[in-house]
Amino acid sequence: MKLRIWMNASLLITLGAVTGCRGHSETVKVDPLFSAYDTEADWNDVQHLIPLTYQESQGKRLFYQQCVWCHADATPAGPSNRSNLTPVPPLLNDGATLNAESDDYMQNIVTLGGAALGKSAMMPPYGRALSTDEIHSVIAFTRAIAQPPYQPSPRTPSQYSTK
Amino acid sequence: MPAEDMGKLAYRTRLLFAVSSVVFLAVLAISPFKDFRREWKQYKRSYLRFAQTRADTKKLLADYRPDIDQIWLPAMNVVDRCTTCHQGITQASLADKSVPQPFRAHPPIPHHVRDWGCTVCHRGQGPATEVAEAHESTLAWEQPILPAVFIQASCGTCHYNNLPQTPQLQRGRELLARLNCQGCHRLPGIERPAMLGPDLTNIGAKVSRAWIYKWLKEPRTILDKDGNVTVNGYETEPRMPKFRLSDPELLGLSAYLSVQTVRVLAPYKIDTRVVAAWSKNPELISQGELRFRQMFCSTCHSLAVTRAGETKLIGGDIGPELSKVGSKVNPDWLIAWLRDPQGYLPHTRMPRYGWSDEDLYKVTQYVTTKLTDSDLLASVPPLGPPTEQEIQVGRRLFLEKGCASCHSMEGLNPQKDFGPDLSAIGRKNASELEFGSANIPHNLVSYIQAKLQDPTSVNPAARMPQYNWNQSDLNAVTTALLSTKGAPATSALQNLVVPQKEAEFHPTGPFAEVYNRYKCYSCHKFNGYGGDLAPDLSYEGSRAQRQWLVDFLKNPQTLRPTLTFRMPQFNMSDKDAATLADYMTMVLQYPSANPAALDAKQFTPAMAALGKQLYEVKYQCQSCHTIGGTGGYVGPNLNNAGKWLTPAWIEAWLRDPQLLIPDTIEPRRNFTEDEVHALTAYLVTLRQDIKQQKTAAISGSRIASHEAGQ
Repeated sequence: MKLRIWMNASLLITLGAVTGCRGHSETVKVDPLFSAYDTEADWNDVQHLIPLTYQESQGKRLFYQQCVWCHADATPAGPSNRSNLTPVPPLLNDGATLNAESDDYMQNIVTLGGAALGKSAMMPPYGRALSTDEIHSVIAFTRAIAQPPYQPSPRTPSQYSTK
Repeated sequence: MPAEDMGKLAYRTRLLFAVSSVVFLAVLAISPFKDFRREWKQYKRSYLRFAQTRADTKKLLADYRPDIDQIWLPAMNVVDRCTTCHQGITQASLADKSVPQPFRAHPPIPHHVRDWGCTVCHRGQGPATEVAEAHESTLAWEQPILPAVFIQASCGTCHYNNLPQTPQLQRGRELLARLNCQGCHRLPGIERPAMLGPDLTNIGAKVSRAWIYKWLKEPRTILDKDGNVTVNGYETEPRMPKFRLSDPELLGLSAYLSVQTVRVLAPYKIDTRVVAAWSKNPELISQGELRFRQMFCSTCHSLAVTRAGETKLIGGDIGPELSKVGSKVNPDWLIAWLRDPQGYLPHTRMPRYGWSDEDLYKVTQYVTTKLTDSDLLASVPPLGPPTEQEIQVGRRLFLEKGCASCHSMEGLNPQKDFGPDLSAIGRKNASELEFGSANIPHNLVSYIQAKLQDPTSVNPAARMPQYNWNQSDLNAVTTALLSTKGAPATSALQNLVVPQKEAEFHPTGPFAEVYNRYKCYSCHKFNGYGGDLAPDLSYEGSRAQRQWLVDFLKNPQTLRPTLTFRMPQFNMSDKDAATLADYMTMVLQYPSANPAALDAKQFTPAMAALGKQLYEVKYQCQSCHTIGGTGGYVGPNLNNAGKWLTPAWIEAWLRDPQLLIPDTIEPRRNFTEDEVHALTAYLVTLRQDIKQQKTAAISGSRIASHEAGQ
């Protein structure tokens, strides 16, 4: 009889020791949208907010400063310059066109300009206006807003790609 | 005691010892097991397993240690163990979004994590070794991780100057200043200007009591014919918030304000010949509207325009929205105001135009006839003449409600620091804040947002008025408030502060008089001082040729066709234009772009021909600039570049645009010196004046025929 009491008591102590330190004090959760650095409304569906990482949010800032004039249909200052250009530059969210291009290619065309890669010279080089990190972030933003969504290709970068 | 009993006792004791030994062993065994199962150790082990799956395992594990990792920066009071779990934070190969947290690399920022630690920017509890303790607010820890959307607040705690990378923080700071928060609150870095809201000393001469009543109750809301709100008054005039006033309070304040006529308004008599010639003219109102448009009042003032069933405000927001101003102001006051705004409000941002009586008559007739709403004051009860008692109540309320904090009134001294000091709001602990009965999470961010959205939600007796926010502005202001953490605690931290750059521009002489009369700084910046609606003019003397400046000031033409906001038509005299142009050419110079240093005569036609070739074929500048009728409109129109720009500026600009204007979007190119000369040679040959716009000097009949001709 006594033995059983002892056994129970020891079990309780053990359980207590195990569970005692487990308990966390009550915590407060914050709004999940607050955990994104910024959001961008999907260009095809304004109700759909795309959460952006820090790098993508920096890309968004640079895009609306530098690129929006030719790579979007509406700009902060009114009409877009896109219709003035031949060939017509792709919209930045145009996944059907841009998803097929590798990050390295995108990095090159922004850095060196269209003419250097055999494309239209109307795309100026940004290598002396933006840093490598800034261009990376613009590409990250492009990937984030791409429609259809961007899937990174499993193919390893070629030996010719810049490092 | 019998031996039998002794034996029984010994047996029991032995049993007791045996059981307790087992219990102690069990407890002892649990302790290492628990230690093994600790959260951070699990993350350590899962990083090991994760690194094995990556191609660069060796590099990822180069400085792996199985124990707690800590960044200790005694001078900054940083003890951050975050890197214990966030082990890949400096590994560039783990930057991708697909890498699971907590192993992802930190995105590239100007500060290195080993030099600064984590909690300096992200807040949270650095020494904690459990996820919840480190990230969230617990009973023992009140400063949770700063939600990512407000991260720019952390940049602002040291960088008092605005950074290009922190647009949200900058917007928040601008809003704090624009909404006159410094009227009641002490805010670091935001100077209290000479005037916040308009001086009300003479308000009785400007508006009626009924209008004051309506304004205090429901500032400037625009309804459609069915009574639906189409333009929200708090959005059109966010500087005047809603004060939740009761009817007796409205009666009192409207009575008190309507008797404020300290200076008697001397009505200006428009030349009777002008009135006689125009008052019967059926085109009077349409001509007035035309002048209103030509003078570009809309650069600062907006009007409600209904297109396709949607009402929108078109125009700038430097001055008030004017859709119904004709039903608001006394016509005599309007004429006096337009002739000399600074005579009524010395610190107004409204420029003093050079009016002819004819223009003044046409425009004021247009404003008082067309920009009206007969129903504007329909909801106001009959008020009657103000009684002495109402006036006394109003005077008391004017001080008690904090009106006097923004609106000066001769003979009244506002209470100093009417609202709480906000210079360290960003570091307040939740326990220092009053949440009242508000059903919100008890942390600083929720408190700030609840207070901004509805001050009474956290304190039913709040004196703070009601503002109207959209989500992005709310987040921007929250960011700016979170960044104000007061003076750094230690001297080592004080050394980190990047002070705000002083923006100073104190011109003297005849230029200063003209500059103040036209309020150039309302829109333009000079050496960091002034508005940012229009181009920065700090180096205008290097950029533009003197004669072009004179012509432009007398008859502004837009250089950028897509701009809705344009330089107003001031009807500037030749003398004023010459004074401004002379000063700009002499003083507002960029050191390395001296117009006198480069003679345009050195350019040969061959160089210009090469430049044209470069412009059109190699660099295709027409993608952004217009010459002739074709080209893009991202950059300015270059049709008149030869008369507009100095060759020295063009060359300096082509070499490095960002050197001259840091935030310009023209990318810096890799031109050779020969190409720079050739392009400049080409641009200086472009001398095609933009078609002459109608100037104020042209009489109304000529404008009419001109318009008809178009």
